[in-house]
Amino acid sequence: MNGLVGFLERSIVPIAAKIGSQKHLVAIRDAFIGLMPVTMAGSFAVLLNVFLRDLPNEWWGAGNGVTATFAWLIGMNGHVWQGSLAIFAILFALSLGYNIAKAYDVDPLSGALVSLSAFIMGLPAVATIGEEAGWGFFNFAAHFGARGLFTVLLIGFLSVIIFCKFMQWNITIKMPESVPPAVSKAFAAIIPGAVALYVAALVYYLFGFFTGGESLIEWIIETIQAPLMGLSQGYGAVLVIVLLVHLFWFFGLHGANIMQAILQPLYGAAGIENANAFEMGAEIPFQWVAGSFDAFVWPGGSGATLLLLVAILVFSKRSDYKMVGKLGIGPGVFNINEPVMFGLPVVLNPLLLVPFVLAPVAMATIAYAATMLGWVDPVVVPITWVMPVGISGFLATAGDWRSIILSLVNVAVGLIIYIPFVIAANSPKLGGGDAQAEQE
Amino acid sequence: MIIVSSPMQQNEITELLTGYNGGDFTFRFKEKGGIRLFFEVTGDSREAARKARELIKSTPWGAILYFQSIAAE
Repeated sequence: MNGLVGFLERSIVPIAAKIGSQKHLVAIRDAFIGLMPVTMAGSFAVLLNVFLRDLPNEWWGAGNGVTATFAWLIGMNGHVWQGSLAIFAILFALSLGYNIAKAYDVDPLSGALVSLSAFIMGLPAVATIGEEAGWGFFNFAAHFGARGLFTVLLIGFLSVIIFCKFMQWNITIKMPESVPPAVSKAFAAIIPGAVALYVAALVYYLFGFFTGGESLIEWIIETIQAPLMGLSQGYGAVLVIVLLVHLFWFFGLHGANIMQAILQPLYGAAGIENANAFEMGAEIPFQWVAGSFDAFVWPGGSGATLLLLVAILVFSKRSDYKMVGKLGIGPGVFNINEPVMFGLPVVLNPLLLVPFVLAPVAMATIAYAATMLGWVDPVVVPITWVMPVGISGFLATAGDWRSIILSLVNVAVGLIIYIPFVIAANSPKLGGGDAQAEQE
Repeated sequence: MIIVSSPMQQNEITELLTGYNGGDFTFRFKEKGGIRLFFEVTGDSREAARKARELIKSTPWGAILYFQSIAAE
């Protein structure tokens, strides 16, 4: 194992460190994380409406007492959703611009505004109502939600980089020192901001010119975003992600930090699109999203370690294992697994490598098949990752009771996978000497 | 005493902490046990563990490391 660790330190760590500290990727990751207060509020609003409007309407029909009584709250939830998940691309444009500018050590507010402006300027804004055509009508559902995400990632990103470079090259308007800092900063950003926005405008104009007026955002959605997100829906992609994340965790590398900048634009965006489609009563576009992993694949945290803890409490005869089991089970219910990962430890423990990887792989396979076959509804509400297993799936699927059965099946499968390894660890050859002593 | 658990970059972590001279804490490497590195510290061990976490995370490789830094009573 030491040789393997040495090999990983020489070959994988430098690459992973470069990815994990690459400032643009870090900015993208932080841009998603920074939106959490708003996206969680939006998710909560969607979730509340499930239990106040959607399920009562399904069970008792339109005009039922629950929905009528809470009509005021349902309306408020609609407002929260409209100001959060429904305008995800706009919020992301701000957050991305802010974080990239911060990474380049230039004024973050200006960066956020440049990114937002570069995104909005390219949106189709002409609509035909009846026989009248007019300007100023944005297609809220088509472009403001997660569907606009890749356009932000391309055009917003490009414009902020240009802005930052001009700021760093000091091509700015300099004000006397007597001018207040806020005014000075705003003036300094005029030339870089104008150049960045004109470059973005040129990109939109040239694209429209050469395509006979086609919209760049629609082209990006159709040609780049849809195929990539389509790829994310394949079993192979899900399997590779589960395998990679767990191998990273097992060898003491932060799987989420390494892969988040790649996963969030695909599975995170798919989750937001699902939530928006659900709230609008439209067809659910994606079967597998970021929340699917949280709901069904890793109860207790990475490696489904809650099931390892349960197996330890029931089958282990080792005092050190039992101690970790007792200490770890509380946090484990809420998917916090540092106590078991480092206490047992699971990290770099050759005995536990197989179940640590195999259990989530098996659970992902079962959940993926159940979702694709329509046995369980897809995840449509982004739920916080600390939600306990069973409840998480139920809420995330907007109250599909079959998700609870799926969670129970997955728990059983995970336990079956872990139990033999926990029993094997009782062997004196593997450090379970106290177990033998107890038996004697 | 604090325990830093990490299978990766153990030499780098040891060098980083023992070479730290910020004035608030000193870290003296005591021993290694599997993935655990034990350090004698001056001052409050909980604060020292937090400082060690900060120092490790501030390195280029710290962001991708899955590790734990805790006070040992």
